[in-house]
Amino acid sequence: MRPSRIVSVATTNPPDTYTQQDLVELFKTDDPRLIQFFTNSHIKKRHLVLPEPDAGGNISDEDGEALLKKHRHWSVKLGAEVVEGCMAAQGLTPQDVDFMVTVTTTGMLCPSLSSLVSARLEMRRDVQRIDIVGMGCNAGMNGLLTVARFAQANPGKNVVLLSAEICSAGYVFDMTMRTAVVNSLFGDAVSALLVRVNDQDGASDGPRLLDFESYLVSEVSQEMRYDFEDGRWTFYLGRDIPYAIGATIEKPISALLERNNLKKRDITHWVVHSGGKKVVDSIKYNLGITDWDVRHTKTILRNFGNVSSSAFIFSYQELMQEGITREGQYGVTIAMGPGVSIETALVQW
Amino acid sequence: MELQTLDVEVQGRIAHVWLNRPEVRNAINIQMVSELRKLFAYIEDETDVEVLFLGGRGSDFCSGIDLSDFAPEDTPDIHGFNRWEKIGRALERLPALTIAVLHGEVAGGGLQLALACDIRVGSNDSFYHFHDVRMGFIPGMGTFRLAKFIGLGRARRMALTGRQVKSEEAANIGLIDHLSGPDDLWEKAQAALEEFGHLNTHTVQLIRRLLDESFEFSWEDFLGHFLAAQDRAVRMDEFRDFIRRAHKQGTPRGDNDGS
Repeated sequence: MRPSRIVSVATTNPPDTYTQQDLVELFKTDDPRLIQFFTNSHIKKRHLVLPEPDAGGNISDEDGEALLKKHRHWSVKLGAEVVEGCMAAQGLTPQDVDFMVTVTTTGMLCPSLSSLVSARLEMRRDVQRIDIVGMGCNAGMNGLLTVARFAQANPGKNVVLLSAEICSAGYVFDMTMRTAVVNSLFGDAVSALLVRVNDQDGASDGPRLLDFESYLVSEVSQEMRYDFEDGRWTFYLGRDIPYAIGATIEKPISALLERNNLKKRDITHWVVHSGGKKVVDSIKYNLGITDWDVRHTKTILRNFGNVSSSAFIFSYQELMQEGITREGQYGVTIAMGPGVSIETALVQW
Repeated sequence: MELQTLDVEVQGRIAHVWLNRPEVRNAINIQMVSELRKLFAYIEDETDVEVLFLGGRGSDFCSGIDLSDFAPEDTPDIHGFNRWEKIGRALERLPALTIAVLHGEVAGGGLQLALACDIRVGSNDSFYHFHDVRMGFIPGMGTFRLAKFIGLGRARRMALTGRQVKSEEAANIGLIDHLSGPDDLWEKAQAALEEFGHLNTHTVQLIRRLLDESFEFSWEDFLGHFLAAQDRAVRMDEFRDFIRRAHKQGTPRGDNDGS
């Protein structure tokens, strides 16, 4: 069976952007530790959906219902936009979608996100769907594995991966030290990829999805998790997680490359999840890849924050826009998230 | 491995490599670039080499790039230069300690190779120059490395004028690390290796990378890099074995050479 190929990509964000300084001012925080935490970050700005300040300039506290409404509104609206966008890039419409996988961790919807987006776009009634909910930052890669295998088994079918992460709707967004790590890190983003097997597609459209390798570091499974408190989620991220991932990253990468008779130096392009500065550093020094190899990872982190399962799709789009990929070149994609999961893929242009 | 432009001896953990085109004073041609690439891949994948000595056969270490590869009617091939720079990078990142053993002329691309090594040992008949400028040519990523060794002012003088730096001056300004007499160059190179005592190759690679990058980042960025590298180092057997040995001998001591 011929491997499937990514043939288009589309991304978008909610309209409002906030610098870290904006947030410190908006939430009127005067805790010096908190201010330092936000302003020392490697993130310049993020797209977020935050409530309008009241007459006194105070941001109201959002309850669980308000957060879920926010998730539904933006994931469906922007989800429909990027699905339309990635289809249009190949001269197609949403009615041409045969199979769609959606990925999100920022809200549980029933009927699910895929059904709401299908209805919004008036997609065909026989469109096949899967919703991946709650797998975290790595889930985009789990979704990619699913669409890659479906497309490979069904040549000619148009298969869409939709990632919708409205992180500002995912969990409590306040200005306390307890939530500072995650609230200074995550941003809102939505993205989609079109994947298929079609003789007319070539390396300039995108890479073929050759192989996947997963790795679960279950020893530290509780170090990255959602907690349910007072009817809302809070997100906990342990401080040693970046290093635990770094210490393990060679295992899936070696397995992936060895199985395909490749060495690290055969890999021209690295598409790495923008998890945060520490984990990106840790991957760099453990894999021996360079700052240049993770340039898009860092750009996305700086301009969008950690946009969870959408991050590798944003980095991939940056790489394609650079226009330097050439037929035959290999790439490796890496995303990591709760589990602790490391998901990797080998691609070839 | 069949190589024509290089002479290679690998014995266990030690590799000796000589540039081997003495008839043209080891000028670097396309074939040598391709063979260096093959050799570095071979060393990394197929051997347990921990130390690589790089010298030159004949009267000189290297007279620079082989101009016979260039013809006036040729369209410029920038990818060829890129292939060459990948060689320098592979040498610089080789998972082995690299020692350049230098005599006679060390010019252009040859000097670039020497700067990509961890240690440079030069005989007192050696001399160094980036003559590229006199040919209307840029001395490659030597422009990236040179100032880190000898400082920006000296690097400008050397690379902009193309002047020759004699061995004694080279040693004084830090272009080479060890100076030998006319006959004891290889003994001196061996002695340079012995300075390392017990060789921790993984740690050498991490420290080397951090030092190479130390001019490029802010303290804040670099701190993250150091922590990531240190985390890797202390998980390695080299550090764990050292701690184990030190505990067996009594109080852990940082000045233990570990041998």
